[in-house]
Amino acid sequence: MADTAAAGGAGGSGTRSGSKQSTNPADNYYLARRRTLQVVVSSLLTEAGFESAEKASVETLTEMLQSYISEIGRSAKSYCEHTARTQPTLSDIVVTLVEMGFNVDTLPAYAKRSQRMVITAPPVTNQPVTPKALTAGQNRPHPPHIPSHFPEFPDPHTYIKTPTYREPVSDYQVLREKAASQRRDVERALTRFMAKTGETQSLFKDDVSTFPLIAARPFTIPYLTALLPSELEMQQMEETDSSEQDEQTDTENLALHISTDDSGAEKENTSVLQQNPSLSGSRNGEENVIDNPYLRPVKKPKIRRKK
Amino acid sequence: MNRKKGDKGFESPRPYKLTHQVVCINNINFQRKSVVGFVELTIFPTVANLNRIKLNSKQCRIYRVRINDLEAAFIYNDPTLEVCHSESKQRNLNYFSNAYAAAVSAVDPDAGNGELCIKVPSELWKHVDELKVLKIHINFSLDQPKGGLHFVVPSVEGSMAERGAHVFSCGYQNSTRFWFPCVDSYSELCTWKLEFTVDAAMVAVSNGDLVETVYTHDMRKKTFHYMLTIPTAASNISLAIGPFEILVDPYMHEVTHFCLPQLLPLLKHTTSYLHEVFEFYEEILTCRYPYSCFKTVFIDEAYVEVAAYASMSIFSTNLLHSAMIIDETPLTRRCLAQSLAQQFFGCFISRMSWSDEWVLKGISGYIYGLWMKKTFGVNEYRHWIKEELDKIVAYELKTGGVLLHPIFGGGKEKDNPASHLHFSIKHPHTLSWEYYTMFQCKAHLVMRLIENRISMEFMLQVFNKLLSLASTASSQKFQSHMWIQMLVSTSGFLKSISNVSGKDIQPLIKQWVDQSGVVKFYGSFAFNRKRNVLELEIKQDYTSPGTQKYVGPLKVTVQELDGSFNHTLQIEENSLKHDIPCHSKSRRNKKKKIPLMNGEEVDMDLSAMDADSPLLWIRIDPDMSVLRKVEFEQADFMWQYQLRYERDVVAQQESILALEKFPTPASRLALTDILEQEQCFYRVRMSACFCLAKIANSMVSTWTGPPAMKSLFTRMFCCKTCPNIVKTNNFISFQSYFLQKTMPVAMALLRDVHNLCPKEVLTFILDLIKYNDNRKNKFSDNYYRAEMIDALANSVTPAVSVNNEVRTLDNLNPDVRLILEEITRFLNMEKLLPSYRHTITVSCLRAIRVLQKNGHVPSDPALFKSYAEYGHFVDIRIAALEAVVDYTKVDRSYEELQWLLNMIQNDPVPYVRHKILNMLTKNPPFTKNMESPLCNEALVDQLWKLMNSGES
Repeated sequence: MADTAAAGGAGGSGTRSGSKQSTNPADNYYLARRRTLQVVVSSLLTEAGFESAEKASVETLTEMLQSYISEIGRSAKSYCEHTARTQPTLSDIVVTLVEMGFNVDTLPAYAKRSQRMVITAPPVTNQPVTPKALTAGQNRPHPPHIPSHFPEFPDPHTYIKTPTYREPVSDYQVLREKAASQRRDVERALTRFMAKTGETQSLFKDDVSTFPLIAARPFTIPYLTALLPSELEMQQMEETDSSEQDEQTDTENLALHISTDDSGAEKENTSVLQQNPSLSGSRNGEENVIDNPYLRPVKKPKIRRKK
Repeated sequence: MNRKKGDKGFESPRPYKLTHQVVCINNINFQRKSVVGFVELTIFPTVANLNRIKLNSKQCRIYRVRINDLEAAFIYNDPTLEVCHSESKQRNLNYFSNAYAAAVSAVDPDAGNGELCIKVPSELWKHVDELKVLKIHINFSLDQPKGGLHFVVPSVEGSMAERGAHVFSCGYQNSTRFWFPCVDSYSELCTWKLEFTVDAAMVAVSNGDLVETVYTHDMRKKTFHYMLTIPTAASNISLAIGPFEILVDPYMHEVTHFCLPQLLPLLKHTTSYLHEVFEFYEEILTCRYPYSCFKTVFIDEAYVEVAAYASMSIFSTNLLHSAMIIDETPLTRRCLAQSLAQQFFGCFISRMSWSDEWVLKGISGYIYGLWMKKTFGVNEYRHWIKEELDKIVAYELKTGGVLLHPIFGGGKEKDNPASHLHFSIKHPHTLSWEYYTMFQCKAHLVMRLIENRISMEFMLQVFNKLLSLASTASSQKFQSHMWIQMLVSTSGFLKSISNVSGKDIQPLIKQWVDQSGVVKFYGSFAFNRKRNVLELEIKQDYTSPGTQKYVGPLKVTVQELDGSFNHTLQIEENSLKHDIPCHSKSRRNKKKKIPLMNGEEVDMDLSAMDADSPLLWIRIDPDMSVLRKVEFEQADFMWQYQLRYERDVVAQQESILALEKFPTPASRLALTDILEQEQCFYRVRMSACFCLAKIANSMVSTWTGPPAMKSLFTRMFCCKTCPNIVKTNNFISFQSYFLQKTMPVAMALLRDVHNLCPKEVLTFILDLIKYNDNRKNKFSDNYYRAEMIDALANSVTPAVSVNNEVRTLDNLNPDVRLILEEITRFLNMEKLLPSYRHTITVSCLRAIRVLQKNGHVPSDPALFKSYAEYGHFVDIRIAALEAVVDYTKVDRSYEELQWLLNMIQNDPVPYVRHKILNMLTKNPPFTKNMESPLCNEALVDQLWKLMNSGES
C-alpha cells in the first residue's frame, strides 16, 4: 500500500513536473525531497506491519519526520558554528541527538536490523540551470588579503559609480551672494510664516499682507530678552572664542570662577594682596574661603529675640 | 561766610543734633506694595526750651510717636501736596513757581523745617532743659508709594522671588523722607542701624556692613541687620530688596555685586572691570575707599542709571552687558566710575548746604574726568571736555546762566540771580532736571579751571586733605563735634585750596562760581605785512542772556611757518585789538619742515596759503581755560591746515565744524584725508563723515566722481575682488568699527540735484545690509545693523504728493518699497531673535516714523502706541513714545495728547513718565504764539492739576 501510494505519488509528481516545466528549481527540489521522505515513511510503516495508510496520515508523518530531520540539521549547524567550523562533524550530530533526547547507542543496532528496506535514491533530476544574470564587465578578482572561499565580487555595475556633479563654486562673490540670498530667503520665509500664523500690525490700513509686522507683544520681564544674548549668539561666541583662543578672555573667565580653580585663586590672591596687605596674614592657607557677609549662613533665631 | 573748620562754625538750623537712627522695616508686601516699620532717632537738644521737633516725612502714614517711651502728639502737614490752593484764581507759571518754592522751603530741613512736627511731652521738658538725650520712636507705614521706593512686580506665575519682584529706593536729591521719617538733609549726619525683614528667598541690600542675617521664628523670613558706623546723612541711605543673585568680586572680596535672576553671567562680565576703577581713585586720592564694603545693585525700571549712596550704588539693570557688546561697554564703565567717584565726594563727604553742592559735584566730576583721561586716553578726555563745554555754553546761551554758588541774602527779588528762569534755584527740588544736569556739568568744568590755575598736584592734595580730615572725623564719637568736618562747604574748600597751593583763586571763583553765564568771543584778524604783525580783534558779547564779561588772560596759539607760538593776551575792558608780532617772514621757496606744537616736524604743501602771510592757523583759548564760545574767522585754507596738521582733537573738531561753510574741493580733500588717516582720533573721523556729506550736498552741481565716501568705504571695508560686497564683519579694531558704522549713515544724507538720495547710495546701503555676515565675528553686530537702518531712514526724502492723495501701497515709491521690505524683515526678526537692548527695533520704529512724516506711509500712531505700552523694553518704549509725541505735534491730535498725559499720570515707571514730559517740552505739540486746536482750557486745567499734584 505504501508502495502504491509512493508510486502514485511519484507518478503524479512525474506528470506534474512534466506539466509544470516552468516551475522554479527550488520548487522542484523541494518536491523531490518530499517524495523521498514519503517513500521513507511508507517503508517504515510497511516495516511496522501496516498494510495500508491513509494519505493524510502519511502526509502528517512525513511532516513530522521532515521537521525532526530539519531540527537535527539546524541544531547540528549551530553546534558546529559554535565551535567556529563550517562543516558539521559526527560529534555535532551526536550531541544534537543527545540533546533531542535520542539514545544514540540504539542507532547502530537499528541500522543493522534485518528487516530494513532499502530505498532507491531519488531520481536525479537535472540540476536546474539558473538563468545567467546579465553581466556587465569583468568581475574583479579577489585582492590577495581575501581568502578565495569568500564569495566573488558582484558585478562591477553594482558598486562602481561615476558621479556626475557640477564644478564646486569657489568664486567668492557668488558664494557671498548665495549665502546672503539664502539667509534672506530663510528669514523672509520664517518671518512671513510667523506673521501669517500670529497677530500682525500693518503700516497700510487697506493692505495687511504686503508688509506684515508681527504684532508687538509686551513681555512680563522685558529686560531678560533685551539683555541676555540669544542662544545663537552664545553659540557663535563659543565658536569664535575657541577658534581664536583669545587669551585675555580666557584668563578673565578663570579669574571669575571663585571655585577651586588654581590659577584663578592665585590671581585673586595677588590682587587682594595688592589691595590690602593687612588681610594677607589671615588669608594664608585658606584659599577658597571668602569672608563676605552675604555668603555667610543665615542664623537661626535666638529664643529670646522677639520678632 | 567766614567759617573756620574744626570749630562749631556751622550753625545747625535745628535746635537739636541727631546722633543715631534706627530704621527697621519689618514687613514688606509686594502684592500690596506696602511697607511697615518704625524708626528711632536719638537726638540731643541743643537749646533748653526745645518743645517742638520738626522732622521730614512724606507720604508715610504715621501711627504713633513716642519720645522716651512717652506718647507724643504730632502734626503732619505737607504743603507740596497742593502747591497752589484750589480756591486761588491765579494761574501762571510765576505764581506756581513762587508757591512751589514757598512750599518746599516750608519743609526744607536745611532751614530747620519739616512736614512732621512733634510736640515734646510736657513731662520731658525738664529733661530737655538739661539737654539730655531724647529717643523718638515713630511707627509708620507706606502704602503704594508714588516715589522714594519703587516696586517692580512682574505679573507672572510664582512666588514673588520667582517672579523677580524687587523694590529699591530712588529719588532726586534728598528724598529719603519719601520712605521713612528722618531729617532729610545732607548736613545732618548720624550713625545708622538698619534692619529689614524680608522673604527668605530675597536679599535686602543696604548701607554699611551686614552684621548678621537671622531667620524669623517661622523660618519663612529673614532679617538683615546692617550697621553703618560712619556718620551719614539720611539722604544717602538706600535700600534694595529682591531675589538677587550674589557675586563677590573676585578681586576685592569686600565688594559684592547683585543682579536680578538669570543675569549673573552678565554681571560677572560687567563688574570684572570695577577693581581697576577702585585702584585708580585710591591711587590718585592717596586714600583708601572710606567704607569697609561696597555693594552694587542692578535693578530694573531704574529711576536714574546711576545712583550713589553710602557704600552702595544702585544701577539700572540695562547697563549689564555681555562680552560681545562693544558700544555699551564704555558707557557702562563710565557709569561705574561715576558712581564710585560719588562714593568719595557726595556720599562719604557730604555738603553743608545746597549752595555748596557744586563743590561735591565738581570734585566727583573732575576725578571722574581724570579716570576718563587715564582709561580712554587724552583724546577722548579732551573731546569729552569740549562736548561738555559746548553743552553748557549752548544751555546758558539759550536759557540763561547757571549759577553754581547761589547766596541768598535778604531775599530781594530784584537781584534774584535766576529771574530769567521760571523756577527758583534756591532749592534742589525746585530746579528743572535739565538745569541740574547742566549745573553738574559746569561744576566739573570749573574744577578743571581751578586745576589749570593751581596744578593737578595741588588739586589732588586738597582732595586728599578733605578726605583725610573726614575720615579722622568719621571715627570719632559724636560728642567730639568732629563730624562737621565730613561736610564740605564752598568757603572751606577755597580755604584749603589757598592753604595748599598758596594761590589766590578768588577772581576765578568770582567769575565762574559766584556769577552765572559764559563768555562769548568773536574773533577776526588781519595780517599787517609791513610790521609783520598779526592784528587780532576779539570782541565780546556780554549783553545777551547767559553771557558775562570776561576780563583776564586769554591764550592764543598761532601756528606760523617757523613753528607754533603761544601768546597770552590780557582781555580788558575796552581793548579790542591786540597786536601779535610774528616770528617768521613769509617765505615760500624754502623747503623746510614745519614744527608743530607738539615738537613734531612735518612737510606741508604750502601752495594753498597766502603768499604774503606766514600764518597757518590761529586758535583762541586752545586749552579751554575759559567757559566760552568762540566764533573765529579765518580763511578756509587755514581751517584746512588746522584740520590736517593740528594734533589736538578739539582743534580738528572745530575746523571740521568751520569747514562746513567752505564747500570747496580743497575742503573735500582735507576731510577725505582725515577720514583715511588711521592715526586720527575716531570721533574726529566720524564727524568728518557728516561734514563731508554736507559739503558734498552744497557742491552737488560740481561734484565729480562717485558719491562721497563710497570709494573710501569700499577701499576700507569691502572685498578686494568684488568691491560691491562688504567683508564679513570683524570688529576687532574698534576705531574702524565705529567708522564703518558711521559712514553709511552720513552717506545716506547725500542728496542729488533733485534733492533726492542718489540711487547709487541707496543700493549701496541695501547691499551692505544684504551682505552683512556676522558669523565669524567675536562681537555682536546689533548696533551696526541698527545704524544701517538709521542710514536707510536718513536716505528718505519727502514724497511727491499729488493733491493730498491717501497713501496706499499702489503708489508707493519703489525705493521706499525696498526700504520697507528691509524694515519689515528686521523688525520681524527681532521678535524671533531679539538683539541686545533691542537696538534694531528702536531704529526700525524711528525709521517708520520718518517714512510716515515724509508722507510715504500713512501717518498712524497705533503701531507706536502698541510698542509704548508697559511691558516693552524701556528703550523701545522711549523710541515709540518719541514717535507718538512727534505725531501729536504734526497731526495735532488731541486724542494722542490725552493718551500721553494719561501715561504721564499712570505709568508705573517713573523714568518713562519723566521722559514723556521731557520729550513734550523738547518737541511741544504747539507753541505759545501758534493757533492750535490742542490749546484749550481743558488742557490747561489738566496740566495745572498735574503740576499741583505734589509729586516733586
